[in-house]
Amino acid sequence: MVSEGLSHAVLPGLVLAFLVTRDYSSPWLIVSAAASGLLMIWLTQLLRRTNLVDDDAGLGVVFSAMFSVGVLLVSTKLRNTPFHSECIIDGNLALAALDQLELGGRDWGPRTMYVMGGLLCAILVVVIGAFKELKLCIFDIQLAKRLRLKPGLMEFVVLSLISLTTVAAFEVAGSVLIVALMVAPPAAAYLLTNRLSWLLGLAAGTGVVSCLVGFYVAVQIDTSPTGPIASAAGVVFLVTLAIAPKQGLLARWFEFRGRRNEMLELLVLQLVSEGGRPALSGLAITPQSTQRRIARLVDAGLLEIDSSDLLVTPAGASALHRL
Amino acid sequence: MLDFWSDYTIQLVVLGSAMIGALSGALGCFAYLRKQSLVGDVVAHSSLLGIVLAFWFTYLLTGTASKSIGILLTGALVAGLASLFLTDLITSYTRIKPDAGLGIMLAIFFGTGIMLLRFLQRSQPAIPGINGIDDYLFGMAATMTSGDAWLIAIVGVAALVTMTLLWHRLKLFTFDADYASGLGMPIQMLEVVLLALIVIGIVVGLQIVGVVLMIGLLIAPAASARQWTRSMAAMCVTAACIGAASAAAGAVVSATGSGLPTGPVIVLILSAVFAFSLVVAPGRGLLHRRRKVVS
Repeated sequence: MVSEGLSHAVLPGLVLAFLVTRDYSSPWLIVSAAASGLLMIWLTQLLRRTNLVDDDAGLGVVFSAMFSVGVLLVSTKLRNTPFHSECIIDGNLALAALDQLELGGRDWGPRTMYVMGGLLCAILVVVIGAFKELKLCIFDIQLAKRLRLKPGLMEFVVLSLISLTTVAAFEVAGSVLIVALMVAPPAAAYLLTNRLSWLLGLAAGTGVVSCLVGFYVAVQIDTSPTGPIASAAGVVFLVTLAIAPKQGLLARWFEFRGRRNEMLELLVLQLVSEGGRPALSGLAITPQSTQRRIARLVDAGLLEIDSSDLLVTPAGASALHRL
Repeated sequence: MLDFWSDYTIQLVVLGSAMIGALSGALGCFAYLRKQSLVGDVVAHSSLLGIVLAFWFTYLLTGTASKSIGILLTGALVAGLASLFLTDLITSYTRIKPDAGLGIMLAIFFGTGIMLLRFLQRSQPAIPGINGIDDYLFGMAATMTSGDAWLIAIVGVAALVTMTLLWHRLKLFTFDADYASGLGMPIQMLEVVLLALIVIGIVVGLQIVGVVLMIGLLIAPAASARQWTRSMAAMCVTAACIGAASAAAGAVVSATGSGLPTGPVIVLILSAVFAFSLVVAPGRGLLHRRRKVVS
């Protein structure tokens, strides 16, 4: 929810800075937009401390108000610039490559690449450098406090990084779909692993795959890439949801089937040991299914067929006993 | 000025916006009290896919572009409910938390919606009226027709009648679902009715506020009204009044102020009302607290 709020709340900062500088590539855009994101977080925490409104509702009102300011600024002051209202939703991903960084008369490639690359390095440094401390703050805030790790400061650092990422992504991805890339890949990774370090790596990988797939689709149908990327992030999640080895729906279904079979076989064994074949007629499953289970139990050596009646073998008896 | 008020279009737009604001405000109380603000946000975003698909299918079937909000809002309703249903499915079968589940649905529904919208806007030959769908992003009250207003009135009356008839049950369910279940009330039924009411409150609001800012129109009237009263009935009525007044004011400003999108104007008015309520609400607001501390 916070990332949803942030992705909207950076807009007024971005637009204001653009109004002042009139320059897309000014670093002030990023600074001001990040400040705007932090302002939103500060305002929501202020609201939370009054205890007068539900947290989510307070956040919702604050970010929608800030976003409104941004939209109104765009539609009044910037009507005839490239920064028009379509950009608010779509971002400028397709144009990002056109904005080249020129230094000393040489062309060094797209500017956005350096901004994003720098941000990625900064995030990697913080996450790898303070991995243990971050982990402790996430999972056991009491212990972190006891160890003087300043969880408040940690939270501020993490939120600043999130805010900065949101801003950097905003320019290229548009406001509304950032939340897609912040939520769907980690959720997909969460279905695949229990370790925080793996979670981070897998989430990053999933994000990259989503972007590549989305961009490919966008090129194929010739639209702005933002929608397809968000959509791809969602679809990658759904695919993971279906096929994840332990948490996935297919795996869960197979596990359920396996347990059910096991239970039913033990039940058959139990009934046979109590009253032989006639007792099986009370089972609420089809006779064919019961026959199959009996055949499997005979194969496993837990039952034996003696003329027309069923007997529990010693192995079967000990299996029941274990239960 | 008199000309302005006697203008039929303006009257229609203001009246229609007021009705929408009242309905969204009243139904938003349930979303607020059940702490489902995020649900409202996601349903609003998701409904874009429904709107675009409804537009596209009518175009493919009839060959003409229909912007009848009856059709578009039905699409929105279906998509909104589908996103909630899928979230419920994901969160009840896996360890994904509701917040994340909703975020993912936002990604899928809104992402696909935008993709399809941009695709249709660029398709050749151009589809007439497709650019009008953009109005559903940030809201445009001025495009309302009298047919739209009638439809909204009928939907609104139906929703309000349902709400009034089931009032005590819905209220009990909102505050204490366990107790309601203990009394033998049909919990799942109530849940569905309540969600459907919230989704209707969202979907009718899309016309004037748009999918992106809909959370403001749904939640801000309820959050403001909550400051002024302790009774739920009074809260609903107050929220409806706040919603209606803000939406009408926003529509007037937007209609006179050179085609500003209505949504942001309404949301800013609502935020001002919210801030005002927080500060001055009797017996509860920040001023009251300060006075208590001083005395």
